[in-house]
Amino acid sequence: MVPEGKPEIETTVRATLRDVLGLSAERVDAFEPGTPLFGALPELDSMAVAGLLTELEDRLGILIEDDDIDGETLETFGSLTRFASAKALQ
Amino acid sequence: MIASYDWAGGTEAMLCFGPDTGPVVVAALPLFEEANRVRALTVAVLRSLAARGIAGALPDVPGQGESPIATDAMTCEMLRGGFAAACASLGERPIHVLSIRSGALVECEAQVQSRWRLAPQNGPDLLRDMDRVRRASELGGSRPDPLDHAGNHLSPAFVDGLQHADGSADGPVRNLWTNSAKPGAVIEGPALWRRSEPDNDPAFAARIADDISQWIATCAA
Repeated sequence: MVPEGKPEIETTVRATLRDVLGLSAERVDAFEPGTPLFGALPELDSMAVAGLLTELEDRLGILIEDDDIDGETLETFGSLTRFASAKALQ
Repeated sequence: MIASYDWAGGTEAMLCFGPDTGPVVVAALPLFEEANRVRALTVAVLRSLAARGIAGALPDVPGQGESPIATDAMTCEMLRGGFAAACASLGERPIHVLSIRSGALVECEAQVQSRWRLAPQNGPDLLRDMDRVRRASELGGSRPDPLDHAGNHLSPAFVDGLQHADGSADGPVRNLWTNSAKPGAVIEGPALWRRSEPDNDPAFAARIADDISQWIATCAA
């Protein structure tokens, strides 16, 4: 579950996925916490992962250390949003 | 028209648009993969400027695009010397640079009247992005070559040069709203350099061309 009270972070993660990956708003709006990302979305290749992390840093005003990222962080929309929320709350 | 220019290490191609007289906007693409992603946008901007009577040029720089120089032989000095030679080859005309992202690292030694930069990226940030691509590919299970930087074989000397590379500081900077915490005015448009597939946005190109043509009019006044 995405932490309550942080819907704006989920909105930002959704918008960043849409903009970086060039996905339609309809497709991204349908993402649920269990929607698989890395390994499931062909648009999310290693180049796009790098762009996604940098854009999240810029848009959320956070700093993501490379050691913070593992396969589970990017596994689903829910895990990515939880990660971003935890970073934004630090 | 496909023209060419000579630099100290050879000859490179240069796309030219618009009239043979008056100001010229010379575009500096970002380095590496981002160049592919914004090339169509850049050409759309130059065509849009040409429709307003402002000439444009898009040079290949040594080691990038269709250049005969191998990527692993490329240095910061070559890139900058090549771009400066491209500008100098245009003769006694007012030259204005349009640079996108890490293109700001390429154009900084050219003798020009002004610079207009879109979302400039410095060398350390470029390297950080490329290092992230390497780490992301490790997440996918591959084991990259240590000289591989996001699919590019780069010499250690070039990487060292990028670690200290910063772009020029003069002239207007435009950032997308998503980067609005950074200095410079905001221009509305998508971060096409982030897209996994190259794309274009004609309306964004027209907004950029409007902004640059207004800037050039200011310079001429």
